[in-house]
Amino acid sequence: MKNNEVIAAISTPVGRGAISVVRMSGKGSIEIAKSLFKNMPEKANELKLGRFNGENFSDQAMCVYFSSPRSYTGEDMVEFQMHGGYAVANAALKTLLNNGCRLAEHGEFTKRAYLNGKMNLANVEGVMDIIDAESVTAAENGYKMLTGALDGKISELQDKLTDLLAQIEVALDYPEEDLEYVTKEQIKDALSEVKQKTQNLLDTSSKGRIIKNGVNIAIVGKTNVGKSSLLNTLVGYDRAIVTDIEGTTRDTLSESYVYRDVKFNFIDTAGLRKTSDVVENIGIERSKKAVENADIVLLIYDGEKVDGEYEEIAKNPKTIKVFNKADIKNHGNDVLSVSAKTGENVEKLKEVIYEKIKLGNISSSDVMITNARHIDCLNRALQSLDRANEVIDETLDCISLEIREGWQALGEITGATANEEVVNRIFEKFCVGK
Amino acid sequence: MDNNFEFDTIVVGAGHAGCEAALAAARLGKKTLVMATNLDTIGYLACNPSIGGTAKGNIVKEIDALGGEMGVNTDKTLIQLRMLNRGKGPAVHCPRAQVDKYSYHSEMKRTLEKTPNLYLRQAECAEVLHDDKKVTGVRSAQGLTYHAKTVVLATGVYLNSRIIVGDWTNDVGPNGFSNAKHLTKSLVEMGFDVRRFKTGTPARVHARSIDFSKMILQPGDPDMPPFSYLHDSVENNKYDCHLTYTTAETHDIIKSNFHRAPLFSGAIKGTGPRYCPSIEDKVNRFADKERHQIFLEMEGLDTDEIYVQGMSSSMPAEVQYQIYKSIPGMEKVEIMRDAYAIEYDCIDPTALYPSLMYKKLDGLFCAGQINGTSGYEEAAAQGLVAGINAAMYIDGREPLVLKRSDSYIGVLIDDLTTKGTNEPYRMMTSRAEYRLLLRQDNADVRLTEIGRKYGLVSDERYAVFLKKKEETKQINEILEKQIKPKDFKDLFERKGETVINNALKLKDMLRRSNITIKDLQEEYGLFGGFSKQALEQVEIDVKYEGYIAKEKEQIEQFNKMENKKLPDDINYDEISGLRIEARQKLNKIKPQNLGQASRISGVSPADITVLIVYLAQNKKGE
Repeated sequence: MKNNEVIAAISTPVGRGAISVVRMSGKGSIEIAKSLFKNMPEKANELKLGRFNGENFSDQAMCVYFSSPRSYTGEDMVEFQMHGGYAVANAALKTLLNNGCRLAEHGEFTKRAYLNGKMNLANVEGVMDIIDAESVTAAENGYKMLTGALDGKISELQDKLTDLLAQIEVALDYPEEDLEYVTKEQIKDALSEVKQKTQNLLDTSSKGRIIKNGVNIAIVGKTNVGKSSLLNTLVGYDRAIVTDIEGTTRDTLSESYVYRDVKFNFIDTAGLRKTSDVVENIGIERSKKAVENADIVLLIYDGEKVDGEYEEIAKNPKTIKVFNKADIKNHGNDVLSVSAKTGENVEKLKEVIYEKIKLGNISSSDVMITNARHIDCLNRALQSLDRANEVIDETLDCISLEIREGWQALGEITGATANEEVVNRIFEKFCVGK
Repeated sequence: MDNNFEFDTIVVGAGHAGCEAALAAARLGKKTLVMATNLDTIGYLACNPSIGGTAKGNIVKEIDALGGEMGVNTDKTLIQLRMLNRGKGPAVHCPRAQVDKYSYHSEMKRTLEKTPNLYLRQAECAEVLHDDKKVTGVRSAQGLTYHAKTVVLATGVYLNSRIIVGDWTNDVGPNGFSNAKHLTKSLVEMGFDVRRFKTGTPARVHARSIDFSKMILQPGDPDMPPFSYLHDSVENNKYDCHLTYTTAETHDIIKSNFHRAPLFSGAIKGTGPRYCPSIEDKVNRFADKERHQIFLEMEGLDTDEIYVQGMSSSMPAEVQYQIYKSIPGMEKVEIMRDAYAIEYDCIDPTALYPSLMYKKLDGLFCAGQINGTSGYEEAAAQGLVAGINAAMYIDGREPLVLKRSDSYIGVLIDDLTTKGTNEPYRMMTSRAEYRLLLRQDNADVRLTEIGRKYGLVSDERYAVFLKKKEETKQINEILEKQIKPKDFKDLFERKGETVINNALKLKDMLRRSNITIKDLQEEYGLFGGFSKQALEQVEIDVKYEGYIAKEKEQIEQFNKMENKKLPDDINYDEISGLRIEARQKLNKIKPQNLGQASRISGVSPADITVLIVYLAQNKKGE
């Protein structure tokens, strides 16, 4: 973990509230604030109303800064008081992260305060509470559920880098062995593979995308189970052509609706059935695509006549099973019965969708990066690997230095350190020594 | 009081750790006794006749920069000198010397004999004497009691050691020197966790039986700087080593005799190092590798014995003949001494503070292979630190604790005392985080001031250091000089560098990858009278400025954590919020500072935050 960078975090609890506070600490934080905040206070300790101009958003906010050493951490610090809610604070944080900050580690503001000699009994009192609160939040966000799979992915990347480093290091530590030492070409190839995989993982970081673009929800089901009616009810007005004739929806339709602080993008799809109609066939293909690309799938059953349909989709973790036509037949409380016609339980469905997003269960691939700290670590890893590529013509010790930095950035996610792993790998893979 | 039995410091063992420990303590004015089972083992190179190598060469430089003896003794007795990793970047340039093992021993013994305050005594240490809190001396197996304020245990591989050649075993130390049979019991009584490690050595063969014409010549490198900063040049860098390879036949012989290998039959129980495998282990683990390298190294100038590097083994003696004879150039081999494996007792080094003092008993230090390391250089480094700290303890001064950021010695001791080791520990450059700073050319810059502070750097050494420092300063000043395009155009074109139309500082020219300080020297007739070492150091500092700056920045942050002290008397069981595993580990290791705590496996970043809060609450750690 580097202690010299500007760190940022949302320091109010995640959830709904009147305001949310986003803060930065470190040398350079005031400059970053100046570049993003219109009407920056002229003096330290002065609260000013102005505008936070973020990426794809702009919002009224208050800003105050503190000059080193007279701040909580003892460093230059800036606080933004944003409008409450999940989306605004996150968008602001994301802007900061893209403008030279990195996300603060667990308890890092406190740690810096301590390292800079700023801790006193008064602020210590609250810190244990914060630590507790933070872990509760982490649990709520489904962090633990995700970490298993994520650790796997990260370990896979680290494993590749460990291999690569072991190949480089064995050349440095055992220069006189009868080995085929690694070539620059091999280093390049390995780097580009790991970089691609890191990028792929980063691409799944749809939290930002969800904040910006909303969550994609595909509505699928057999023909004429009431998908289009449900869409209309969900968004509150007639959008889709609804008829009793099977296969009315021949194209995918999409419509957005903001529920609480998240934008839902509903995608109505053509019913899945075999058909000879060319136009409808195209529609069905599009439906399949929509399912693939969706963050959440609403699989609609005709509550009147349920049979084992679409087992594959039903098993997908991103699927929510919905039984329509509750007005005709109610399936009890064990399943989600709604009525597109009467609106019964439609609000509940929205809440179910919302909870699923909050739990981090949305997934368009097996693993998805949702944690901004992870995004930050992956980004830094990628940057280090890029630099390693840039210095490929330099000597091996320099290349190694950059790759190690990449490894360490990944290690911040899993809590492992490179040195031992690399040394172990050398002995596993190479026959070295006198 | 009898002069023969009252000491400030008693060093048990006269190997590479023992010698450095004793010299350091004696040079710091402490009346020091070296007790060894056999005084012919002083500075004995029980395995290969070579000092230095990757990372180890840097350690020797560091020992020298601090005022230790290994570099000086190596320069005196070396017969070949090479720089490994030339062309791979200055962070990993590592010097290595072949030395005459007999003169290495006799020169070292002579140095010890001539050192004031230093006494040599052949005796087996049977017991460490102590009261509840501190050591009081040692008792020899011969029944004499020696009193001392401090004791440094540097027993090497001699504790309950046993050598193994096939079915034949013998309870002796290396090369048949007698082992130490009693001290382990004393260690257990004092609460050490004793374990058993294993290592090995290859056969020694007669030079006349070797057909060197079938082998590849391995000469030394010309123009090598000496190991010691005190020396300007070395004389005897003129002897060759030879390289040959095992064959398919060698591997067949080994495979068909696996059942007779003590390593596989279970006869060897000690944990061996992975990096120093016996030939049977290599053939077993890397079955698809067609050949393994064999280096032939002279044992000395006054002997025809040759060390066969790469052929460490514990196979039965007759099998060894078959194996060696299958190697090109060794068909008519005359084996003089068998290869053997050796098992010995050592301790868990996490029982020690980073000063190398035992946590449970004041004044007791452990250094070298007893701490689970391998290698002469690693041992010597610990010996030096233990010797200095024995003296510091007596004087009531702060111990010398080197950091991971200032030396390989710091990395070594931090790894040992923080993480421990499950196999003989060998230093490698890949264990160091700040490799570009821990170079072999700048060990003096990193450590000589520190050594001076602790009193081990002589006036002579300090003067040499200051002179080089002044030289580098002047060279840097010269490098600020501007050169006009017309004056560097020629040079740049010859060296394939892009010519630009602005004047350039010499320093900026040097940053170009194809321009060396030698080029500037020749082109402009500069730097007359400056030492090669000073020029080399400046050149590396300029060429790798960006990386060095990066590492320096990392170190600054690293040091913030290192500087937050954790008092010894913290009871981690009482700190709420720490996880149970962290409590156990912290209580066991007793880390000296937050940085060390964070490196203990099983202590998470969240635990560190809890510690930070605890420290602040109690206003400790300042």
